[in-house]
Amino acid sequence: MTALVELMLDRRSLGEVGSKLARAAAFFGFACVAFASVGAWLWEPWRQRFFPAYLTAFAWVLSLTLGTLFFVVLQHLVRAGWSVVIRRLAEFFAAQAPLLAVLALPLLLGLHDLYHWTHPEVVAEDPVLLGKKPYLNVPFFLLRLAFYFLFWSWAGRFYYRASVAQDESGDVGLTERMQKRAAPAMLVYALTVTFAAFDLLMSLDPHWYSTIFGVYYFAGAVVAAFALLISAGVLVQRAGYLRRTITREHYHDLGKLLFAFVVFWAYIAFSQFMLIWYGNIPEETSWILRRTADGYGVIGLVLLFGHFIVPFAVLLPRSIKRSPGTLLYPALWLLLMHYVDLYWLVMPEFGAATPHLVDIVLFFGLGALWLSGAARLASRHALAPQKDPRLVESLTFENA
Amino acid sequence: MSQPAIWDNSHDQPGHRAPLVLGDDSFGAITQRVATIVEKPKPPRWWTVTFSISLAFTVVLLAMLAYLFTVGVGVWGLNVPVAWGFDITNFVFWVGIGHAGTLISAILFLFRQKWRTSINRFAEGMTIFAVICAGIFPAIHTGRPWFDYWLFPYPNQMQMWPNFRSPLMWDVFAVSTYFTVSLMFWYVGMLPDLATLRDRAQTKLRQLVYGILALGWRGSARHWHRYERVYLLLAALATPLVLSVHSVVSFDFAVSQLPGWHATIFPPYFVAGAIFSGFAMVLTLLIPIRKAFHLEELVTTRHLDNMAKILLATGLMVGYAYGIEFFTAWYSGNHFEAFTFYNRALGPYSWAYWIMVFCNVVVPQMFWFKKARTTPWILLVGSLFVNVGMWFERFVIVVTSLSRDFLPGNWGIYKPTWVELLTLAGSFGLFLTLFLLFLRFLPMVAMAEVKSVVPQAGLERGPHRGHGQYWGEIPHQHEEILGGEGREQR
Repeated sequence: MTALVELMLDRRSLGEVGSKLARAAAFFGFACVAFASVGAWLWEPWRQRFFPAYLTAFAWVLSLTLGTLFFVVLQHLVRAGWSVVIRRLAEFFAAQAPLLAVLALPLLLGLHDLYHWTHPEVVAEDPVLLGKKPYLNVPFFLLRLAFYFLFWSWAGRFYYRASVAQDESGDVGLTERMQKRAAPAMLVYALTVTFAAFDLLMSLDPHWYSTIFGVYYFAGAVVAAFALLISAGVLVQRAGYLRRTITREHYHDLGKLLFAFVVFWAYIAFSQFMLIWYGNIPEETSWILRRTADGYGVIGLVLLFGHFIVPFAVLLPRSIKRSPGTLLYPALWLLLMHYVDLYWLVMPEFGAATPHLVDIVLFFGLGALWLSGAARLASRHALAPQKDPRLVESLTFENA
Repeated sequence: MSQPAIWDNSHDQPGHRAPLVLGDDSFGAITQRVATIVEKPKPPRWWTVTFSISLAFTVVLLAMLAYLFTVGVGVWGLNVPVAWGFDITNFVFWVGIGHAGTLISAILFLFRQKWRTSINRFAEGMTIFAVICAGIFPAIHTGRPWFDYWLFPYPNQMQMWPNFRSPLMWDVFAVSTYFTVSLMFWYVGMLPDLATLRDRAQTKLRQLVYGILALGWRGSARHWHRYERVYLLLAALATPLVLSVHSVVSFDFAVSQLPGWHATIFPPYFVAGAIFSGFAMVLTLLIPIRKAFHLEELVTTRHLDNMAKILLATGLMVGYAYGIEFFTAWYSGNHFEAFTFYNRALGPYSWAYWIMVFCNVVVPQMFWFKKARTTPWILLVGSLFVNVGMWFERFVIVVTSLSRDFLPGNWGIYKPTWVELLTLAGSFGLFLTLFLLFLRFLPMVAMAEVKSVVPQAGLERGPHRGHGQYWGEIPHQHEEILGGEGREQR
């Protein structure tokens, strides 16, 4: 029991540091977005770039929340014990859907710039888009988005609230309730993520379609989520929190899951690419062709090596997964690669692959705003569940 | 066997893990229970009866193959436009069945799902036999099966080399790799148990045969050490194979340009369907056999509950794929794509389509309820529905898309002949024959592995804790890990 006593003395809450971080991140993020907006207002090239860059960054932070939400719901669905000590970090991130709904509002101003199908005159002359009008029209699109965000907000907040409530009460019934809701929540989650990916990203090219697209976005989001949890865990521990709570055993498992989903992402990406290449049907290949021309081919190769081959080799050895200080680097790298993946999905619809300052400003801007939301929650609550019935199992867990 | 109440370990109280196996069996009693099934001089009567019937159907299969080879593929109902019928349907069906075993033994092993120890041997055996049945169909559908060896890349005087762009080639490699690794995994996992049977053998013959099969296993610490390392490595190798085999099978369809076949979601959709059908078959076989051999304490209600949950989850994944395909067919704006799905639901094969939807999507919804998951007969009926539904899924995919393609002048209807029906029945005969032989001569429960999860495995014995409690108090584990980077503490 000595270890458990020591654990009690572990620093567990970000407290004042968290609120400071939240304020600084909010200020920085807001400044970035304001800078990009003013730039867009003043200069035409910035104006043209603003909404695509905003959408890319938004899809990135959205996937961080969706990926961690998947993680949280999954842990309850399978009644996992090992993951309890890192679940709270995921809960902070997963509860950011209301903030993301606010961050989605600027996109509404850019619907015309982003989505071809919102122009009635274009749709009127295009029989294919005319056929899709019952689905691809602005009111229904907004209604769907509203529903997605309502559900994600409900799910993220529910799991966060119930979990922190358990810190006070230690009520086992809360765990039972979270478990009970996990299966239906997962079902709705699967559908909302799929159709959100269709709506926000696939309909950028309204002629193109791929049945696997929802799974592709999901796979990338889960890679990002595990990368995020590893990064957050290591950084929080470096700052002196939870130092004896999260052990190398947990990083080992997170590393294994990160590795598994890197492979899963590659499997899904390969399935989509190879089948379109082999079928060679013009209405499908046009989408791939646009992503191999104008400099995007290089980005595609960066994804092949940077999102799959190199992380595969790096994450394979046991020793790397068990050494958090080393594991941090592939994790941070994959967070970046996930952004590059989304860039490769969005940007080819809006011209050649020339990196733009707006991309970077909005990447940091939305990232910081999103982080401030998570930091705000982290300042109020313990960074790991305090009275979860499976806490001891998690604290003493080992990879036997 | 005391009162049935303690047989129910499917409850779950957060913070307390339910026991994985029940009863107060000692290690020796577990060996006794499993090994005597194999050691009885005479098999039970039901075994003899079912084995005779299965064997008769195997003979039917051989007769049908002989008839096919002598007369030609014309004895089947295949014709333009439906050039694939029962042959490929059966192939995909059987390969799908063959997915549960490796999923249970490899993926659940990596996920530390220790309840798998009671059922993995059984499911792996089923996998091997299902893959054997599956392998027959692509081999005989080629028309001139005596040239099938051309599919193998070997240097030859004909200056011929297989076309690696053909999915048929990919199947050869995917299925043969899967079969090899599954067989290895099954066999390596069985070594300690084969040695047990050798040591318990009462006759010279048994001692000799099991002795050879056990490869000189003595159970020394070094043997165990190497065994566990090999097991982990094989699990890691088998895990991608679980996904790759059925993905490659799905490529057979998805690389084409045919509406209803060419869909990017096919690989994961097929894999989910394969696991779905495989678990259904495991349940179909396991529930009666568990009863017949009185294995309720090893294969507990919790096992049934867990498998039913996997059935529900994979069934929902399959339903998701049906839904997304249907939606995308409309969303694509492609008339042919939309027509294919309209035709599936309302065309001449709509009966097959609705059987598929009912069995695969509607029926498994009952597994939301614990009563259905933990009542053996309900679960058995549900799993039978899924077996039927998954066969029809492949039939719908194979036949509907071919029977009505782009040009109405090309349309045609496919009806199987009696030869195809009997070949399908015969493949079940072969499957059950092999399976019953396995039950009779090999240990159907992994005795050595189960012993590591029983309560008696010792709560005080380091990492080998029973009751599914794989965690323990390890004081030195909680030192600061970020100081000394990357150094192993143990």
